[in-house]
Amino acid sequence: MAAATAGPGSLLPALTVFLVAFPLLAGVVLLFTTAPSVRNVIVVGASTVVALASVAAAVAFGNGADVFYGLPGDASPQTAIFIAEVAIALFVIGIGLHYRRFLAPALALAQLAIAIWLQVGGHEPAPDPSRLFWFDRLAMVLVLIVGIIGPLICIHALGYMRDYQRSYPLIRGRRTAFFFLLFLFLSSMFGLVLSNDLPLMLVFWEITTLCSFLLIGYTRTPETIGYAFRALNMNLLGGLGFSIAIVLLSGRPGGLDLARLTAQPAGAVLLPAIALLALAGLTKSAQMPFSSWLIGAMYAPTPTSALLHSSTMVKAGVFLLLRLAPAMAGTEVGTLVAFVGLLTFLFVSLVAVTEQNTKKVLAYSTIANLGLIAGCAGIATPQTVWVGVMIVVFHAVAKSLLFLVVGTLENRLYTKDMEHFDGLLSRMRRVSILALTGIAGMFVAPFGIVIAKWSAIRAFIEVPGWEGAACLLIMAFGSALTIFYWGKMLLKVLSTRAVDPGERALEERVSGFEWFSETAHAAGVVGVAALVGVISERVVGPYALGAFHAAPRTFLDVSPAMLVVLLASVLFLPALGFWAWRRRDYDQADFYASGRQAGADRVVGAALGGTREITLRNYYLEGVVDGGLVFRVGTAVCALVLAAMVVVPAVVRA
Amino acid sequence: MSFFRRSPWILHYDGSSCNGCDIEVLACLTPLYDVERFGVVNTGNPKHADILLVTGSVNERNVEIVENLYRQMPDPKVVVAVGACACSGGIFARAYNVQGGIDRVVPVDVYVPGCAARPERIIDGVVQGIAALEGKRAAMAAGRRRGALRPQSGSQPAGAA
Amino acid sequence: MSGLAGAVLFVVLAPVAGGLLVGADRVVTARMQGRVGPPLLQPFYDVGKLLEKEARQVNPVAEPLLLGHLAFMALTGALVLGGVDLLFTVFVFALAALCLVLAAGSVASPFSHAGAERELIVLLATEPFFILMLAAVCKVTGASTFAGVLASPVAVAEELPGVLLAFLFVATVKLRKSPFDIAASHHPHQELVSGLTSDMSGRLLAYVHLAHWYETALLAVFVVLFFNRSVPLGLAVFLLAYAVEILVDNSTSRAKWELVLRSSWAVTLLFSGGNVLAVFLLGR
Repeated sequence: MAAATAGPGSLLPALTVFLVAFPLLAGVVLLFTTAPSVRNVIVVGASTVVALASVAAAVAFGNGADVFYGLPGDASPQTAIFIAEVAIALFVIGIGLHYRRFLAPALALAQLAIAIWLQVGGHEPAPDPSRLFWFDRLAMVLVLIVGIIGPLICIHALGYMRDYQRSYPLIRGRRTAFFFLLFLFLSSMFGLVLSNDLPLMLVFWEITTLCSFLLIGYTRTPETIGYAFRALNMNLLGGLGFSIAIVLLSGRPGGLDLARLTAQPAGAVLLPAIALLALAGLTKSAQMPFSSWLIGAMYAPTPTSALLHSSTMVKAGVFLLLRLAPAMAGTEVGTLVAFVGLLTFLFVSLVAVTEQNTKKVLAYSTIANLGLIAGCAGIATPQTVWVGVMIVVFHAVAKSLLFLVVGTLENRLYTKDMEHFDGLLSRMRRVSILALTGIAGMFVAPFGIVIAKWSAIRAFIEVPGWEGAACLLIMAFGSALTIFYWGKMLLKVLSTRAVDPGERALEERVSGFEWFSETAHAAGVVGVAALVGVISERVVGPYALGAFHAAPRTFLDVSPAMLVVLLASVLFLPALGFWAWRRRDYDQADFYASGRQAGADRVVGAALGGTREITLRNYYLEGVVDGGLVFRVGTAVCALVLAAMVVVPAVVRA
Repeated sequence: MSFFRRSPWILHYDGSSCNGCDIEVLACLTPLYDVERFGVVNTGNPKHADILLVTGSVNERNVEIVENLYRQMPDPKVVVAVGACACSGGIFARAYNVQGGIDRVVPVDVYVPGCAARPERIIDGVVQGIAALEGKRAAMAAGRRRGALRPQSGSQPAGAA
Repeated sequence: MSGLAGAVLFVVLAPVAGGLLVGADRVVTARMQGRVGPPLLQPFYDVGKLLEKEARQVNPVAEPLLLGHLAFMALTGALVLGGVDLLFTVFVFALAALCLVLAAGSVASPFSHAGAERELIVLLATEPFFILMLAAVCKVTGASTFAGVLASPVAVAEELPGVLLAFLFVATVKLRKSPFDIAASHHPHQELVSGLTSDMSGRLLAYVHLAHWYETALLAVFVVLFFNRSVPLGLAVFLLAYAVEILVDNSTSRAKWELVLRSSWAVTLLFSGGNVLAVFLLGR
């Protein structure tokens, strides 16, 4: 790995501190800001600064060789890390006891014991103060995602939360805490993706877990508290795995240095620790058997789902797996991680076709995409890691947009049920077009994810033995399921019907914050699709080359014509859409209903006189696919694979 | 050259009747008569049809349906009334619920007499219908050249009736 | 043959070939039923007439989507013959089908909507097979393009007999032949009317017919992939298979969508999945 130390003139250490400290500071200020107008100004201002700072960090990095650096003045964070660990553990224990839920405190206690043993017992080697942080192309991708999408979601939340509080008037006062948590999360997320020292990363890791926990339980109803604790328990279990991995690695000089740890395939000695870190990654990215926490997390306010539970925090899990990929290459752990990911992709896609709640469909789709990334990380070839990072990029933008759009719909139509979005193109035209962009970005041919999926199939063909065949089968069926559930959603989003003026007014009450954020997201979806070649050749391709010392075969190497087709399609679809937008030569009431249509859209004559309105519903494959059963089977199967993943390396070592 | 001559697609509607004519219409599709030789297809869908072929009379209940189906057929289109009932109400003409022949509701281009009408006569009626169809197509094309709107033969928007 | 020439040739000739095949289908069907049947060129007369007829628009999105359906269907074949990566074309193929689903499903008619949903199920039933098929062909030949497969010394059909068998089954579903004509029907049926196409008229319906011809020609190209050592043999096998499809079409009644989905998946999993597994295990 090309390792260079940041020169004295480099801005990266200062920018890193700024990226972590500034959102935290903004969050604390917001915690004490009750006036909405002041809050609006602070959030917009702080968001702008964070976005600029993250872009500045990317520019300072300059897309060159990996940079390792410490805090300004080479200060050692060891004591601060220890204090933070103790504080987190005490907070979890306290809140667990308050709600009389004891699993989370027990897990926190175990982590606390490990931290004390390592720190007080002096078993943890002191981190190299000049290698605390690691800025490379993958980190740059994540910094840009967190730093651009994150602030956009915070701005969206200004509009969303105003309407949300109207629906839940009893919790009006907690809005300050909500924005504090969003900015605290941004701060810890920057720390997480830039950390090179594993204990440092663990602290940020646990702070994101806490943010997620508090945001899921935001309304503090018994239901949401239950889901919040489920998320907390599962993520703390992953955190415990992370801690034990640190224990296993702490005996080795430089063992806690992520870059050194992952620079080459892990021997049998390191493998148990790698497996435990992978376990942490899989819990964070809600892979089966831990998927249920992310479904429960959908009860959080929707900007939370967009920020934590689709575009960034869950990406931290697969980020870690992608980091570990070179170490997992060719090992049993790699294969088993791949199967957990790919089986999750298949099972949750199957569940998603039976789901009617739009937010949950988005959640299942998120888990499925993360599964695909985990699968790619586990197979660990330059090609698959290229695919994994590409999906991270495209998914982050498109899925965040979709969550935000659903948030807007939810506050206007008071429902998350897909069936109630009927006639959306007529009722809320702008929202519908934004949703269309997001859905297209998720699975339609001109957009990047299709390139990634194509590349994944290409890579799976090269995997030898039964594993290759299994990967291909999973990919084939999983992709078909993806088309099915997105297709159903498109049917609703694209449907038109006659609307009354009252319904037309629905869109007028959407706040400017939401329009701005969603439009920027949509531009992002189109932008990354148009820039797919640049992203691949300048950033992701070189990253895979650096991590594996072998260049991935990207689509530009295989057939440049694909890029032409993609770009042409990107233009073709909007052109058709524009044509549709302008036309007026249609008669909505002229649908076929056996000669019984009653002169208005969707109204037909009833059998005994009078009229009735037609209701159209999607197929949910009742009688063929039992979503609950599939979920349980998937959880059980993946739990077995996961157990094998943790146990096998330990046995091999013994 | 016009393709209408070679591809007349039919929508068959049965009003108040004894179903005798319907049997004869179906007979046209059997191997003995095989109207598909002339490109005739029984579509069952007004939006695909060129010829509305009606058997039976119009009664109080089906009047709106006949109107609806006719209105939904894209131009050019013709109506062929098959059998005595469709032509004039036939044996049902004086029933309390019957309004009369199909021309009470929609403009009829070809009348095919008979009770029941024989398949040969039905086929002959369809052939005459094709000629009428061709005439309407030519008028439509001429109208389009003059920049006029499409002919107003019952194709006003739903709800206007 | 250079890629560009192949692509242009497909766009120009595929509708002619597809239309003739559909015409032959109608003649053969009629003969099987003891009738004379329409002229061979009947499909062309039909489409010509539809283009002359008024198109009644029910909503603003149907026509753009149907144009997309036609364009992407033609594009799929053009990409295959044009030498673009085979695996990539399957996504454009799916996009073409999706456009049709959306066009039909955007209408308020229950018949169109049921047809659209069922076509989505057809897509769900057949998509895994097409991904698997093209992946398997690429795997055994080591090539990634149509020309590469033709140039490969490996006889694909010998390596992938299970996939070929599954293809014959899945093609029946994809061509909406009975008993798998769940999404649309050539004949009037009370429960479905014309399914997908119930609310399409005039040129809109013509687009669907044209796209169907492209699709049929594309399936022929896929069969040729299996018989890469001899293109005429591949085309002959395709015509034979199509004749069998006509026989099946004429002798069965429509199945429920559950059966279509289950059977397609079972065939895909057993025949192509088993075949692909064998290929991977034998290490070719």
